[in-house]
Amino acid sequence: MASYLQIPDDEKGHDLDLFCVPRHYENDLDKVIIPHGFIMDRTERLARDIIQDMGGHHIVALCVLKGGYKFFADLLDYIKVLNHNSDKSVPLTVDFIRIKSYCNDKSTNSVKVIGGDELSNLSGKNVLIVEDIVETGRTMQALLSLLSKCNPKMIKVVPDAFLVGYALDHNEYFRDLSVSVGKSHSY
Amino acid sequence: VNKPAVQTVFIMSAQVKDGDMKRGIVIKDDWPGYSLDLFTYPEHYHHDIENVYIPHGIIMDRIERLARYVMDDFEDSKIVVLCVLKGGYKFCSDLVEFIKILGRSSNRYLETRVEFIRLKSYLNDQSTEDLHIIGSSDLSFLRGKSVLVVEAIVDTGKTMMALLKHVETFGPKMVKVAGLLVKRVSNMAGSLTDYVGFEIPNRFVVGYALDYNEYFRDLN
Repeated sequence: MASYLQIPDDEKGHDLDLFCVPRHYENDLDKVIIPHGFIMDRTERLARDIIQDMGGHHIVALCVLKGGYKFFADLLDYIKVLNHNSDKSVPLTVDFIRIKSYCNDKSTNSVKVIGGDELSNLSGKNVLIVEDIVETGRTMQALLSLLSKCNPKMIKVVPDAFLVGYALDHNEYFRDLSVSVGKSHSY
Repeated sequence: VNKPAVQTVFIMSAQVKDGDMKRGIVIKDDWPGYSLDLFTYPEHYHHDIENVYIPHGIIMDRIERLARYVMDDFEDSKIVVLCVLKGGYKFCSDLVEFIKILGRSSNRYLETRVEFIRLKSYLNDQSTEDLHIIGSSDLSFLRGKSVLVVEAIVDTGKTMMALLKHVETFGPKMVKVAGLLVKRVSNMAGSLTDYVGFEIPNRFVVGYALDYNEYFRDLN
């Protein structure tokens, strides 16, 4: 696993006054834990790590909707900048899926993939899964075992575990924030 | 002497009619585009693309303006943005971001909730008439809401027409359409689109999430 930035449990965060926060959320939020610019800087580095690990072969970037889409767009922008500015570039295609997870009788997690192109297209490619949050990892485990049946060359996951904001939501609110107020683990 | 960097170059205005604004930035039939040498692009497309038709920076500047039209027009404080995948994902992401930025620096804040619908309407470079929805076609989350459909390109307008019909069946309060690119091939395309980024001639364009059989989406 590549290196990641760990935010300690007792992280105090910054006062809301120090940043621009939409007025209608002012009473609902406590602190800014990860400012947007910081997210972007970290994302830029993730892009570099990804190209290093996966850049040898066609990358399929798989975005798990809905939470992952903003991070996905920003991450891909940084990957594209690297692609535009080096001698070698890696072909990059994108796809979007939704995941429905369910427990069957044996209480092992299964997932159903909704939307997206034929999963057989992943065969032989380097697959990058961009997910919004990995909490227990059970859903991701199930997704990975489903996708590995399609014989990709490589699968990597970028979890983006911001609890609120940055296109994640709490009952559909807060998706429109650009800063986040939660913990983060990275690729 | 330190001069501030000029971000946008302005030219003294000539008379411009209001109606023209709705057409967006009009790109003429004979627009040759810019030479590839003047910009950066992925090496693996070196032999496949002809020119840079619309640079990324001007796309962003135009979208910033569209965001302001949207803010001015939607009187509600909340809208549902319906992003048409896959081609619309960049336009949607950047448009919503500009709406958020405008909201932070003004008294009005337009709360946006983004939903997705996946359509397949092109085979190679020919647009088809049927509305192929991939994944769920259930748009009941639109009921009673102010909706902004965000689409990367409107060509003949047939797909957009079919999509709008589908959207109406779910009883939204109001529906508007933002199209980054609108082809100057039919009157219908133009009249369906409330917010037009660029009006372009009937050429096949790729990049900024638009593809040719899944290639070229990764151009800016």
